[in-house]
Amino acid sequence: MIARFSIMLTALIFTTGAAAEVLTDADEVIARADLAAYYAGADGRSDVRMIISDSQGRQQRRQFTVLRRDLADAGDQQFLVVFSQPSDVRNTVFLVDKHMDRDDDRWLYLPGLDLVKRISAGDKRTSFVGAHYFYEDVSGRRPSDDTHEFVETNDDFYVLKHTPIDPLSVEFTSYVTWIDRETFLPMKIEYTNAAGDLYRRVEVSEVEDIDGHPTVTSSRVSDLLTGGKTDMQFRYIKYDVGLPETVFTERSLRNPPHDWLQRPER
Amino acid sequence: MKFWPLLLLLPVALHAQDDMWDDDAWDDDDQKTVWSGYLEAALGTRFDHDPLIDERNTLEDLRWRVESEWQRGRARIGFKADAGYDGIEDDWDADIRDLTVAMSFGDNVDIKLGRQVQTWGTGDLVFLNDLFPKDFVSFFAGRHDEYLKAPGNAIRVTRFSPSVNVDFVWTPVFEPDVYLTGERFSFFSPLAGTNVAPEPPLAADDPDRSFANGEFALRLFRTIAGREYALYAYHGFFKQPTALTPSLQATFAPMTSLGASLRRPVGPGVFNAELSYYLSRDDRSGNDPLLPNGQLRFLAGYEWEAKPNFAVAFQYYLESTLDHDELIDNSPNPQFEPDEHRHLLTNRLTYRAGRDKHTWSLFTFYSPSDSDFYLRPVYSYRHSDQWSVTAGANLFGGDNDHTFFKQLADASNAYLRIRYQY
Repeated sequence: MIARFSIMLTALIFTTGAAAEVLTDADEVIARADLAAYYAGADGRSDVRMIISDSQGRQQRRQFTVLRRDLADAGDQQFLVVFSQPSDVRNTVFLVDKHMDRDDDRWLYLPGLDLVKRISAGDKRTSFVGAHYFYEDVSGRRPSDDTHEFVETNDDFYVLKHTPIDPLSVEFTSYVTWIDRETFLPMKIEYTNAAGDLYRRVEVSEVEDIDGHPTVTSSRVSDLLTGGKTDMQFRYIKYDVGLPETVFTERSLRNPPHDWLQRPER
Repeated sequence: MKFWPLLLLLPVALHAQDDMWDDDAWDDDDQKTVWSGYLEAALGTRFDHDPLIDERNTLEDLRWRVESEWQRGRARIGFKADAGYDGIEDDWDADIRDLTVAMSFGDNVDIKLGRQVQTWGTGDLVFLNDLFPKDFVSFFAGRHDEYLKAPGNAIRVTRFSPSVNVDFVWTPVFEPDVYLTGERFSFFSPLAGTNVAPEPPLAADDPDRSFANGEFALRLFRTIAGREYALYAYHGFFKQPTALTPSLQATFAPMTSLGASLRRPVGPGVFNAELSYYLSRDDRSGNDPLLPNGQLRFLAGYEWEAKPNFAVAFQYYLESTLDHDELIDNSPNPQFEPDEHRHLLTNRLTYRAGRDKHTWSLFTFYSPSDSDFYLRPVYSYRHSDQWSVTAGANLFGGDNDHTFFKQLADASNAYLRIRYQY
């Protein structure tokens, strides 16, 4: 009973302490945000579904399972994305080897042709399976691809502006991120194009605590020029499931790892 | 009349899919059997009449695709079949594209048994070490790209290990390509010296069924730091009926091949190179006019995203006929024999717009040595998760009647496909 109370007390002190501490180094804030958003646990799995709405309100759906494994925190990662809906993309599999020191390696498996297609490195800020999300939103953009500066720090958020180091490789000229001071999750991202227009917004609408990790469970990306949007929800999330490296190989493209794709029991 | 009234059946299968995104959708039992597929109507027609073929249309398909899969423990059963009406062949038909049992043994062996579509190698619409059956008739007629790969009855065993992965495919009964027969498209006959459309259609002699006449395909592959290396071997037959029996009946010559490939990122794109050596086992010195000579094939390609949503790819392909002098010396029709070195350039342009709702693509084959070409412009529109429309054309031309693409000049066609996915 006493032990339990002291743990709660420690948690309380730690949490409030973290919130009270104000970081002043933009690179440190973005590094912690990157960890919070993409590196929770040593690995993880989630079911994901998206509703893609065009400007006329017509909807399309996607459903898939994502498996992720970290080789090191803030370092290289592997992703396996296995589609289950709609039926014309069922068993399509997307494999990413994310690297810090070079371009990511990415493969797409098309089951109808039994074809393992390699995706070129430049193709990362284009629509991910018809959604308003980009390929790069799925596996994360390297913090080292941008320079970061503070816009402001308020009671709730670190507000940072990011400028691409290679402006020709992206469609934005800058973006601004609202990072939750407590969880370090980016809660809102707004992109500005060369015309100076705000044209794209990503917003988090739900965060849940999963296995001790604050986790985004609902988000939306909006195309502010056309009015289209994609809503994304995450369910059946689990961290530290013990995914082996072998799951993230060509084997899983042709033969998705059923044991690891099953929803966790709880 | 025989064809289009059936289109009226399409809407019958439709049901509203615009329910809101309620939470129930998450609760679908992932063990539940899901049936899916599509209904498709396709019509293609020639730009010009082929004097040898009565039918002007090249494609009149009504197709119903059904697919499902079942997972039981570590075994997965897959099923994909097409049923429908082919107006060109005036035939109701059903075809199983996939009926397989896939199992894993131990930690590192996968076995897939049954009728299946298989692909390996690095070429884009150019094949060197991929000797799995292809359906060029479907490809030239404007069916979905998926139908370029024909199914075969095979056993595939794959062993994965950190040093090298091994893929072994045994196809007990030889599965040739679906070749030009003269039914849908006429083709050039060196014997006749012109295009022909034989009646009945060409039916090449298949090899006798025996263990030794099966097909054995092997691939050793490994990825090291993003570079994909592979070695290939094949023992079987040329996939096209390019040989003649002593009674001048078309057939398939025995062939063994060895090859290698590399695919790796270079700069902003992906580079691939592939090599293969075809040994014509019954014509090793190349002097038998009834049998095709051996070949050396080489491919190098590069693909990159030139602008967002705009991909560009080039390939250079070389097909060298071995012992070419012997071929010419012994040929009854040396003027129709292939050049010693056939060079082929390909280009693929792909532009996607509206988050992949619209896809424009142009694939060009051009052979400077044969002076012929093949253009494949395609536009696809994905209206919704259910409805999609594809329009395209297959345009063939060249200077000499006997070359690969020029023989299909009268087959140049445009097509339209409408698909309802369920």
